Amino acid sequence: MNEDMSIDQSPHDGGDSGSISLECDDLKVTLVGAAGPVDILRDVNFSVAKGEFVSILGASGSGKTTLLRVLGGLQAAAGGKVRCNGVRVSGPPAGVVTVFQDYANSLLPWRNIRRNVGLGIEASMSKDDCYSRVDEALALVNLQDRWNEYPWRLSGGMQQRVQIARALAMKPSILLMDEPFGALDAMTRASLQDELQHVQGLTGTTIVFVTHDVEEAVYLSDRVLVLQKTPAAVGLELATALPRPRDQMSTKESPDYLRLRHKVYEALGHRVGH
Amino acid sequence: MSRLTSRFNWLGFSTFFGFIVLWELLIRLKLISFDYVPPPSEVFVAARDLILNGEMQLNLQHTLTAALVGWIIASVVGVILGVLLAVLRPMWTYSMASVDALRSLPIVAFVPVAVLLFGFSLQMEIVLSFYGALWPVLLNTFAGMRDVEPRLLEVGRVMRLSKASRIWKLQLPSATSHIVVGMRLGLAISLVLTLVAEMVGNPAGLGFALVQAAQALQPAQMFAYIVAIGVSGIILNAGLIRVARLLFSGQMASSGESK
Repeated sequence: MNEDMSIDQSPHDGGDSGSISLECDDLKVTLVGAAGPVDILRDVNFSVAKGEFVSILGASGSGKTTLLRVLGGLQAAAGGKVRCNGVRVSGPPAGVVTVFQDYANSLLPWRNIRRNVGLGIEASMSKDDCYSRVDEALALVNLQDRWNEYPWRLSGGMQQRVQIARALAMKPSILLMDEPFGALDAMTRASLQDELQHVQGLTGTTIVFVTHDVEEAVYLSDRVLVLQKTPAAVGLELATALPRPRDQMSTKESPDYLRLRHKVYEALGHRVGH
Repeated sequence: MSRLTSRFNWLGFSTFFGFIVLWELLIRLKLISFDYVPPPSEVFVAARDLILNGEMQLNLQHTLTAALVGWIIASVVGVILGVLLAVLRPMWTYSMASVDALRSLPIVAFVPVAVLLFGFSLQMEIVLSFYGALWPVLLNTFAGMRDVEPRLLEVGRVMRLSKASRIWKLQLPSATSHIVVGMRLGLAISLVLTLVAEMVGNPAGLGFALVQAAQALQPAQMFAYIVAIGVSGIILNAGLIRVARLLFSGQMASSGESK
């Protein structure tokens, strides 16, 4: 924690304490493909403050998901350092939970909602404590009435809520989300975005959010990171500083929001008239 | 009760019943004439006689005991070995070649071996029933354990589950429907092998009764025994599915095995 503080260069409004939750230092990631090893990420440097909401954007195939997998300890780095609450990451760290895009594959189809949400905590506490934590987490995502259903009986939006509740039940300090709303329709997505904002307001969880949706990234985040080039590195780092709480209409109509959105599209290589 | 009646396949049943009536008619009208094909009515009478004098129950009990005891032991051993093979890499490396060699040998070839080793005994029948059912249970368990959704294993890592609870809470439940399929296949093989063992080895049970009836030129009795074997196979299979649905409702329903 004491060395390397110089890499925390970004201004952010979310991290009032200033202490660092996640940091990447000259991160390099190599994956082995059909044509041998390929560098996916190189010289990736950034940090995330406690309680901050950071989005990672990038074109399809730019390595966003790979970056998140490295942060979550599911994928090993080929070089550089990743620290999580000051501890070097090797394997999924305690207090960090990843929420995957494919909610249908991520839930246990043979367990009802309550037992799905209890999966991560049931071994470490009594049944009553576990269920009261589960009910609390389900209430955060407005699913307290559906605890006895099987996940495949629920809509896609509700299944993703279950996965988020399962993560929240573990009371994580960091939530890593890999395009969590990518497979959902626009209306469900908007309501889940607002629920996520609300949950973060209540719990103060640090959130790293991978998405390919520019509007979603700007709307939700304190800071937006855009991955550019191959191998990818952080090309643009943009603090949004939009006032909270945000809402789908007035925030998205504000000139600041539109200006930020314009900048991010530019960083992704879009030009006016194309 | 209404759910049971609505689920019953009346059309399928009437087709089956139609064939029985046709069989009866063909023989009564002398349209076909084999010396030793009795009409269904005679088979029915023979079955009733065998039940009344107690021979049917005695033989059925002997054969089903041998088949079921061997099959139950095979299910337990097969699931345990299948899990170990799937979970312990070295065990797989050392033993998979032997497993492949043993299971591709025609099982009936082991019948004389078992007779030689265990004599004309119930024990010999149980050993054969066990050996026949072991392979489908073991291999289906192994395949099911390997077939777990990779994302679920990642969820297990993210939730920091221990290796034991990853096996118990993620892999085994997702292998359940595979295991039940293996047990159903095994049950059918257990019955066949037990009958073969009784025909060529131990002079007892339905297999021996069948051969005896044939040699005594009692075709009606022979067919009565065949019907008894068929019906008990159907009942055992249906019972197994019902028990599996009862015990593992979530697993079976999620793999499309519900209703």
